[in-house]
Formats: sequence, structure tokens, C-alpha cells
Amino acid sequence: MIEPTLYDQARDRIAADGFTPDTQSRIALVVCATKNANLLFQSQAQWLPNLGVVQQFFISQAARELEAVTLLLRTTQWSTNAMLALEAQRIVAPLLAAWGKVMQFPGPLFNPPAVYRGISLGHAQLARIRLIPIIPEQIDPLNPFALVLHRIEQENGRMLQTQIRLLKSMGSEMPLAQREALVEQDQEVVDAVFNDLLTWLSAAP
Amino acid sequence: MPTVIFGPHKVNYELVGEPGRPVITFLNGLTQNANLWKSYAEHFVPRGYRVLAYDMLGQGRSSKPVIDSKLATHADTLAHLLDELEIDKIHLVSISFGGIVALDFAIRYGQRLYSLTAMSTFAELTPQLEFLGAVMTQGLTEVGLPYLQNMLYPMNMSSAWIAANRERIPAMKRAGYIGNDGYALQNLMESFVEFEPLTAQLPKIKVPTLIMNGEFDFFTPRECHELIRSKIRNSRLLIIQHAYHAFTLEMPAVTMRQLGEFLDRITNGTWQGDQSVWIAADDPTAKIQWLPCDGDWMRAVRPVAASPATPTPARPRKTQPRKTPT
Repeated sequence: MIEPTLYDQARDRIAADGFTPDTQSRIALVVCATKNANLLFQSQAQWLPNLGVVQQFFISQAARELEAVTLLLRTTQWSTNAMLALEAQRIVAPLLAAWGKVMQFPGPLFNPPAVYRGISLGHAQLARIRLIPIIPEQIDPLNPFALVLHRIEQENGRMLQTQIRLLKSMGSEMPLAQREALVEQDQEVVDAVFNDLLTWLSAAP
Repeated sequence: MPTVIFGPHKVNYELVGEPGRPVITFLNGLTQNANLWKSYAEHFVPRGYRVLAYDMLGQGRSSKPVIDSKLATHADTLAHLLDELEIDKIHLVSISFGGIVALDFAIRYGQRLYSLTAMSTFAELTPQLEFLGAVMTQGLTEVGLPYLQNMLYPMNMSSAWIAANRERIPAMKRAGYIGNDGYALQNLMESFVEFEPLTAQLPKIKVPTLIMNGEFDFFTPRECHELIRSKIRNSRLLIIQHAYHAFTLEMPAVTMRQLGEFLDRITNGTWQGDQSVWIAADDPTAKIQWLPCDGDWMRAVRPVAASPATPTPARPRKTQPRKTPT
């Protein structure tokens, strides 16, 4: 569980400074990186043979992740501080490394355990990266950036159903306890990244 | 909070009070966590009890399984937690979702109980509950956790409480949103897909059992509690006046007083489990707390058979000022 005080500190900072270009850029850089990784995985996984109805869910999720990234890219007021990109890259590096293992040769199309891991990582991202609690109450509800965060999070909850259903029903030779442990392990990777993002947002500009 | 490991899961708990004293264990509702029983611990520890509260699987800081969703796991987890803490027997107090877990525990681990308190709960899914559960799951999965939170406030609390706490509710919702994970709640709710009704097994519960139901609880209405009362011989049904589903939060003083009354009766040997129905006093400081329930407790109105001697009820005249609801 993410410490509630981390949310409070980030929200207090945004309440004091507003959604500055720096703050928007920090959020957009990290969220886009995570979504692009899932998008890449979904784009490949939809070509798996004999998917049946599951194929529709992969296609739909890839499209909606692309929509989320597009919304963020176009709505964000970007900062001119290039150092933000470097820090964002440092924060998401462990998660991108985990995605790298999923996508490495021979890739999910030819590596069933990688498919399970990709779904588990996608679950962790969609479930654990939650930014609504950092939006201050006094922010104009029609603030474009706040609105896009709300939309993305609501959509994450819907998209998550694909991962939940697949994790529960997908045939896997792994015992149940091992599968649960794998999901929890991926959540810890995502939680660490999200912890760093919240801490970054709380820090003075 | 300390942690106990049960299989692949970790369970966070809080145990306060001096060792050797009788233990009261609290089981949470669906979206609750161990912290919500802090005021109960502050009340009962000075009165000679130890209090154990914990985040059930899927809640707070305990593990939140994604795949495994067996309802029976919760009672097994409690048994394991008690083993780890070297606690032999407990007074088990439970509400709503925790109530079903408590009933399951009392059926399968009854030898580990001194008593059972089941509040705002059910032993089987009535058609209403089944539909409500489906709507809640649909709301959570198709709209999101904030929608479910918005839905639960009016289902759990009275208008008076909502009006009095309107300013605090956004912060409370935010805390609930941070503490709960939608997928974990969904998993808890989906555990009912394979849920077998407990009703037929309720007669196996032999320990003193207090069943508490809010007078106006429309989420788990009287019929749910009546079913439990009718199947457990060593029980009493206590109706909490003016209360809705989550009276442990809305009326803690009244709830603590009723629990204390029940535990006192067990301790001093005056408890009578006779399946009778009582009404809790509104005033937690009143000397007499359990008032006899006169009439049909299943009804909201008391019909009187019409006869020539029955006078027609007077209608208020149009000129009379209308009473303001209080």
C-alpha cells in the first residue's frame, strides 16, 4: 500500500503551486512511459493465435492506452526543463526493465510465460498508479489536466477487467500461490515507481 | 502494524491490551480496515479486554489477492492468526461482509469462540441482496471505485449523518480511495459467486450469539437477521433504533454499550439465549439497555384489524402547519 501521507504531500504541493508546467510534465512523462510499455505489449499480444474473444480486449486496450497517451501529450503544458525527462527516466527505469524482460527475444508471441508476466505487469500499472487523490479539491473541475487525469483513471479501472479476467482464467502451469506471488511482486515494482513519482511531485520545484 | 504470514499472504493486525485477558476480535465490513476499530479498543481495553483488529485479505495493508477468491479463506486466515498469536478463544464481533466470515468461522471453528456478535449481515443471498451485489459489482467494474463509494454512503449512513458530515465526506472518500483497491474489492465481491448459503449450517453455532440490526437498514434488512435468529438457538436479535447499515460508525457509543451489555451478561452468567427480540435503548447511559420488542418485528407498521369499534384515523386539516422532519 502506498503511504497516504505521500498522496497528501503531493496534493498539498499542487494545492500551493497549482498544476504548473513542471508538475504536469513530471506526471505526463512517468504516466506516458508506463502506458507506452503496456501499449507495446498489447499491440503484440493481440496477434497471439486462438485468442477468440480475448483478442477484442487486447485490441481495445491498445487503442485506449494510445488514447490516454495522446490525451496526456496534447493536454500537458510542457516544461522547458529538459532535466525533468532524465529524472522521469530514472524513476520508471525499474518498471521499463521489467517490461524489457517481457518483450525480449523471442517476445510474448513465442513465449507464454512472458504473456502471463505482461498481463500481471499491466494489472499492477492499471491498478496501482492512481492520481485522483493528488488532485486538490479546490481545482477547477474543468481544468484540462485534472480532467484528463480523472478520465485516464476511470478508464484504467475499466481496462483492468481484461487483466483481472485473464489472470484468473488463463491456463498456466504455475501453482496458484506462485501466480499470486508473481502478481504481488509486480505490484511492488510499480509501487516503488509510483512512490518515487509522488515524492518527486512533493519536492520543491 | 505487525504482520503474520499465512501461505502466500501477509495479514496486518493490531492487538492491544494486557496478555491473559479475554480477547475481542473485530471483523470489518467490505471497504473497512482495522483502524476503524480504534475507538472500540479505547473503550474495551480499560474495561479489562484485549482487542484484536486486522485488515482482512483484500483490505488495508494486508495482501490483496487478485486470483484466489474463496470466501472460506477468510475464516481460515482468522484461525491461523489466532494460532500465531497463541490465542485460544475469542469474543468475535463482526459487521456486514465480516459478519458472513464470522458466521462461517463460528460454524467451522466454534470451539474457539466465547461468543459471537453478528451485525448488519446475512447468511444467504436473498434475491434483493443478490441483485444489489450485482449492481455494486457492475458499478465498480464499469464505472469505478469512486462510484461505488458514492453508492455506499447513502446505503450505509442516515441523511442526518450525511448532512452533518458533508464537509468531511470528500476527505473521507479520498482516504477510502487510497486505502482500498478496486480490484481487491472486486475480488471480495466475486467470492460470492461460489458462495454456498450458510443458513442450513447455522444450527451448528452453539455459542451465545447477539444479532444486531439497524432499524432502518435497507441494505441488509430485517429478513436477513431474522433468518439467522431463527436458526441459532442460543441467540437474541437486538434492533438498534434509528440506525442504518453502518451503525458501528454512525452510532459508536450505542454500539459499544450494547456489546458491553452482551459481554457483561456472558461474564456474569445472566445471558439467556432464547431467540427473543429486543430493542436497544437510544441512550447509551440509560440503566436499562435492552427493551422488550412488542409486536411483529418484521413489520414497519402495526396493522389493526378493522372493526366497528375501530375509529377512523384523524386526517390532519389543511390549515394545520406541516411538521418539519427532524
